[in-house]
Amino acid sequence: MSGAAPEGPVLSVDHLSVVSRDSKKKILNDISLDFPPRSLTAVVGPSGCGKTTFVRTLNRMTELTHSLRVSGAVRYLGQDIYQSNVNPVLVRRRIGMVFQRPTVFPMSVFENAAFGLRILHESDAEIDRAVTEALVRAGLWDEVKTDLNGSALALSGGQQQRLCIARALAVKPRVLLLDEPTSALDPAATQRIEQTMLRLKEDVVLVLVTHNVSQAARVSDRVAFLHSGRLVEVGSTADMLERPKDPLTEQFITGRFG
Amino acid sequence: MQVLGRIVPWIPALIPAALVAAVIWELLLSSGLSLRFYPWPPVFHPPQSFGWEFFGSRWNPAQNQWGIMVFIVGSFLTAVPALFLSLFIGLGIAIASTAYLPKVMTQFLDPFVDLLAGIPSVVYGIWAFIVVAPYFGHVVNPWVYDHFSVIPGFGGTPPSELGTGLPIGIFVLTIMALPITTLLIRDALQSLPKDLWESGLALGATRWEVMRRVAIPHSTRGILSAALLGFGRAFSETVALAMVLNIQSGYPVNFYHGTATLATWMFTNLDSAYGNSSWLAALSEMALVLLAISLTVNLLGRRLVSSFIAYEIAGL
Amino acid sequence: MATSTPTGSVLPRDEVLFDRSLRTRWRLGFDRWIGWLLPLLFLVAIVPIVDLVYFVVRAAYPVLSWGNLTNTQPYANQNGNAVGLALIGTFDLMAIATAVAVLLGLFGGIATAEFLSERSAGWVRTSVNMLAGTPSVVVGYFGYFAFVLYFGWGLSLIAGALTLSFFMVPYIFRTVDLAYTSIPRPIREAALGSGARPYQYILKVGTPIAFPQVLTGVFLAMAIGLGETAPIVLTTLPSLLVPSSLNSGVTFLTYLIYDGFNHPSTGPGSNELAKAFEAAFLVMMIVIALNVVVRVFAARYKKRLEGLYQ
Ligand SMILES: Nc1ncnc2c1ncn2[C@@H]1O[C@H](COP(=O)(O)OP(=O)(O)OP(=O)(O)O)[C@@H](O)[C@H]1O
Ligand SMILES: [Mg+2]
Repeated sequence: MSGAAPEGPVLSVDHLSVVSRDSKKKILNDISLDFPPRSLTAVVGPSGCGKTTFVRTLNRMTELTHSLRVSGAVRYLGQDIYQSNVNPVLVRRRIGMVFQRPTVFPMSVFENAAFGLRILHESDAEIDRAVTEALVRAGLWDEVKTDLNGSALALSGGQQQRLCIARALAVKPRVLLLDEPTSALDPAATQRIEQTMLRLKEDVVLVLVTHNVSQAARVSDRVAFLHSGRLVEVGSTADMLERPKDPLTEQFITGRFG
Repeated sequence: MQVLGRIVPWIPALIPAALVAAVIWELLLSSGLSLRFYPWPPVFHPPQSFGWEFFGSRWNPAQNQWGIMVFIVGSFLTAVPALFLSLFIGLGIAIASTAYLPKVMTQFLDPFVDLLAGIPSVVYGIWAFIVVAPYFGHVVNPWVYDHFSVIPGFGGTPPSELGTGLPIGIFVLTIMALPITTLLIRDALQSLPKDLWESGLALGATRWEVMRRVAIPHSTRGILSAALLGFGRAFSETVALAMVLNIQSGYPVNFYHGTATLATWMFTNLDSAYGNSSWLAALSEMALVLLAISLTVNLLGRRLVSSFIAYEIAGL
Repeated sequence: MATSTPTGSVLPRDEVLFDRSLRTRWRLGFDRWIGWLLPLLFLVAIVPIVDLVYFVVRAAYPVLSWGNLTNTQPYANQNGNAVGLALIGTFDLMAIATAVAVLLGLFGGIATAEFLSERSAGWVRTSVNMLAGTPSVVVGYFGYFAFVLYFGWGLSLIAGALTLSFFMVPYIFRTVDLAYTSIPRPIREAALGSGARPYQYILKVGTPIAFPQVLTGVFLAMAIGLGETAPIVLTTLPSLLVPSSLNSGVTFLTYLIYDGFNHPSTGPGSNELAKAFEAAFLVMMIVIALNVVVRVFAARYKKRLEGLYQ
């Protein structure tokens, strides 16, 4: 990771639209949004409003679905990630992602966390160091340090999810996208992950998709509200939850739909 | 009544087991082995029990020598290279179609592999013998001979123009085992959850890196079963191989020479054995050896693969 | 260590998305090249199949005629390419073998699916896999020793047909078993709960549901049987006459193909060889047609039945 903290937003989304080639439906409609350093932005909205699609456009995962067409720009430190000479592989190293369900690979805890470094053929010492650091940052170290070579599949759901976070952190991304990371977990595990997120936002820009307004209230410092593919409103968490400007936002946070 | 109701369904259900048992029983009876453990005289009165000489290298009916080692070696000599070739080609095709090719392309290309599975082996045989063998005789074998004759086994007697022999045998077996290996491996690779595939990519890995480090380790069982079932097919293939192998009863003198496998030797020898009970007994015992190897390989292979695909491939 | 971006600002190297380091170029390049090279392996499958089909069709085309297909006297007409005899022989063999195999496979499959415990059924299924895994030449030997010699039927239509049925039983057995196993539980329970006896359920409820799939199995088995050569060659005697009884000799399509190999010296265009390719063409057409039907049907059942036959 670079020492020099950049000025301005780390990630900036500029008139982003996503259209389905099959149904011609606009899944995301003209979204513009900046993600400054040291921020945790919660993306909330009713089911099917495009939250998952939105975060997937931020590290070019959308292009794995051939039926989607993305227009507009997403700039990472000023560089448009959709430019033709940018390879998605490099984008994804800088902008990591954690999925809804834990997706540990069928290998040991250590090898899971080391995955992103192994493919770069880092030295063993460097891998050891980075894996330890990542596991510590993900808040998993104390639980697995005695059995790093045990199968990752033997961990509990919550531990697996934190391992996925550690795995993403090990390659030292500047941005981490989390798509409903706790929706498959019990309250205790959810709490651990929320603590982890609060710690991480000091040095990683976090984008958290959640359908759970109270989770957004607990961890985020900014909330973006999506509705049918539009960015309805974005503001500080306190403002959004207490003084929403848009009636749709108000309806959503007071739990009248979603 | 209750008891009857429970027993009656077993009668039809045991038919396949009974058929297998009948095959083994009959072959035991007609082979020299029966002398050892049956109190009553065997059907064909084999005049001798072969003992360990049976696994010797000399097969000479005129001198009453019945060693089948040549054919065991021949079987492995053709099946093993063919298996490796078709395993690697199959792996490549499966990876291409799982990770690299767009859906429109795979929809067009995959059926060719399916089609390969549907062609009867005798059709492969006649095609290989008439169309491919001359090519091997005039182009492939002379080229290999010219360039690699320093390697032991690749020099010596020049290849004949006919083109039949080991190389084309391996070629035919490779093509015939290809659908099995390809389809089984493809099925295993595609069973990797989409989430896992995507999280590999999300870590900044290339498709190849996710394939090599996640998908292939995840598919080890499938690949192993592809290897076993592909080997089973190659090892017991009869008629196509009999048409291109240039059947000989001795060890091949070099790579271009003819040889025989257990299956092809059994197939081409039964005619001549008629009336010679030693000969018939030796052939039956050979059948038992072939059966034992094939069944072991097949059952192991099937145990490993937890998919419906094996059932869809004709001939498995 | 710093590289400038298109926007002009200066970024640390590992933040630049246009990284051109050797390591990265190698990784991305390898992935791209593999993506181009691996699909070429499809040629290993496509070239032989296209060449084979092309050659068989080209060799068979000049001799394919209605007269040749229906003429049962191979050497009566001048060109001697008539395959009517072999068509009838194949039909006879397949008819007997299919009848026997359906009889054995149908009852066996239904019994396994409907009456056996999960555990027992597992053993039975393994035995089916064993039968399917028995090499064809070994079954041919069995037919020769049992039917031809021991029962004294000689090299004959019946010996060949019964031997052939060994290859068809496992496929019919499996599909029947799968077809009845896959009938949804509620349907079965509703039928049995309303007082139907098991056989009534099977006849009135199960069979109509399972029938299309059973038919698929029969087609699959026929495709397998039709392509078999070695075991029938070992247990029958080629004949110049249409089989008149179960003990007659019989000429069949795959025999003609194999025979083409035994008489190659006369070169392409010779009667035996032309006849071989004519027969190959017919066998391939029928087998491919059967396979297409099977695949179209089987795709529907695939998902539900994962893992039953391991
Ligand atoms: N590949 C696709 N092709 C066409 N439409 C799609 C595709 N992917 C998603 N959609 C549509 O886009 C909309 C947004 O989907 P998305 O998964 O982003 O919603 P979401 O907000 O994440 O929902 P949830 O809260 O249920 O996770 C949905 O209406 C969906 O039907
Ligand atoms: Mg979602």
